[in-house]
Amino acid sequence: MFSPLYLLYGFFVLGCVGMAEYRGWSMDAMNEVKNVPRSIRDNPGAYRGIYSSYHHYTGGK
Amino acid sequence: MSTGTPPLPNPPAKPQVKSLHCPQCGAAITLRSFQQAVTVVCESCHSVLDARDPTLKILQQFQAATGELAPIVPLGTRGKLRGTDYEVIGFQRRSIESDGVRYDWHEYLLFNPYKGFRYLSEYQGHWNDITVCKDLPILRTGLVPSANYLGEVYRHFQTAEATTGYVIGEFPWQVRVGERATVTDYVHPPRVLSCEQGSGETTWSVGEYTYPQEIWKAFNLPGQPPEPIGVFENQPAPATVSLRQAWLAFLLLTVFLLGLMAFNDMVASKEPVFSANYQLAPGAPKGEASFVTDVFELKGRTSNVEIKTAANVSNSWIYLNYALINQDTGKAWDFGREVSYYSGRDSDGSWTEGSRSDTVIVPSVPPGHYYLRIEPEADARHPQISYSVLIRRDVPVFKFYGYALLALFLPVLYVTFKSISFERARWSESDHPILQTESD
Repeated sequence: MFSPLYLLYGFFVLGCVGMAEYRGWSMDAMNEVKNVPRSIRDNPGAYRGIYSSYHHYTGGK
Repeated sequence: MSTGTPPLPNPPAKPQVKSLHCPQCGAAITLRSFQQAVTVVCESCHSVLDARDPTLKILQQFQAATGELAPIVPLGTRGKLRGTDYEVIGFQRRSIESDGVRYDWHEYLLFNPYKGFRYLSEYQGHWNDITVCKDLPILRTGLVPSANYLGEVYRHFQTAEATTGYVIGEFPWQVRVGERATVTDYVHPPRVLSCEQGSGETTWSVGEYTYPQEIWKAFNLPGQPPEPIGVFENQPAPATVSLRQAWLAFLLLTVFLLGLMAFNDMVASKEPVFSANYQLAPGAPKGEASFVTDVFELKGRTSNVEIKTAANVSNSWIYLNYALINQDTGKAWDFGREVSYYSGRDSDGSWTEGSRSDTVIVPSVPPGHYYLRIEPEADARHPQISYSVLIRRDVPVFKFYGYALLALFLPVLYVTFKSISFERARWSESDHPILQTESD
């Protein structure tokens, strides 16, 4: 009984991977912004992303 | 566990209960198996009587221990087991001793005038439905001896000296309290094959694990059966899972997954759409640090975009605020990436930390014209940093396959762990307390 259910589950997992690849999904954190003004091309400093100044210093060993 | 040593009787011509009196105490004695009974035990005074003697000659008298448990299925109870009516006519407690600990089990003798005898054994809530073997099993020696019976291989489980400690009712053999026999059990869940050697006789019987609910239902017993304790020698694994099948299914799915990965890697365009090199001047920025790239076109269907950053950092870092902006729609994907690399030498030797490159995947980006807004940051005293940005369209994401493999592996790992735990518990009570699985 396990195998048919497991196979079904397995093909579902494979289907998800196929769908993720086809649709171009990603696991990286990202913020989507709508209606960014066109003036950014002329004045890049006018835009401030939410990740600005979010860096961290790893500092080495 | 094993039954006593009864030969299969010839069915009697006419079922009829015969009433007699115990010559010791005068209590009424009922013979339910008629001339099949060889010995009968008085329930009042515990005299073992010769049922074939017209005067019920006393063969043995024993003292029942205080607190001796009454049979769960009382003598005289009738029930339908596997489609046949049976009556409980005998009950005995037997035990083995291992490492100074006595293990008791109970055996019930069932009788049907036309079908003969059948046995039930009960140990800590685990029940077995037992019949005498119709054929002689073939024994095989080895690291773990086995017996082949009707084409099934039974593994040796345990050999022990069993002692009869208590009897009541009637039996088709010369039953005695204190009677000893060597009992050898071979298992092939849900069946158990038992060889019993004693008094110059060898008897083989085969039992099938029976869930207590079936016994309760068959004999219409009141209440709920007690929960079985532990794992019994021939108890079937709780989940009807074949580990071999589970692992084969896992391997099959892994092959499909690898095939899918190869296919996607082959069909992914991985097209470079933009590439540029930049410099971040040393020290604090003079003026606005952010800038935008040239516009580039993303073609094809909605797909991902990979942005790879490489920087010549050494014991330093660079942080890049990125925004991938669709020039046509004004939609942007905003994210930050850090490239940092440190190295040195200490008492443990040389070490490195971080990487001089970073890759990020922007999900589900529709086709269109895009540009990148980049805002670099670095430590205030940083030297000049050179960095490059490479953008590729439609790349395979191998992380997905790793997570998928994990998702496929976990259920198999779970059932394997459960099965191993169960088998370990089963075999820990045997003469071979080693790791063995049902599906081996």
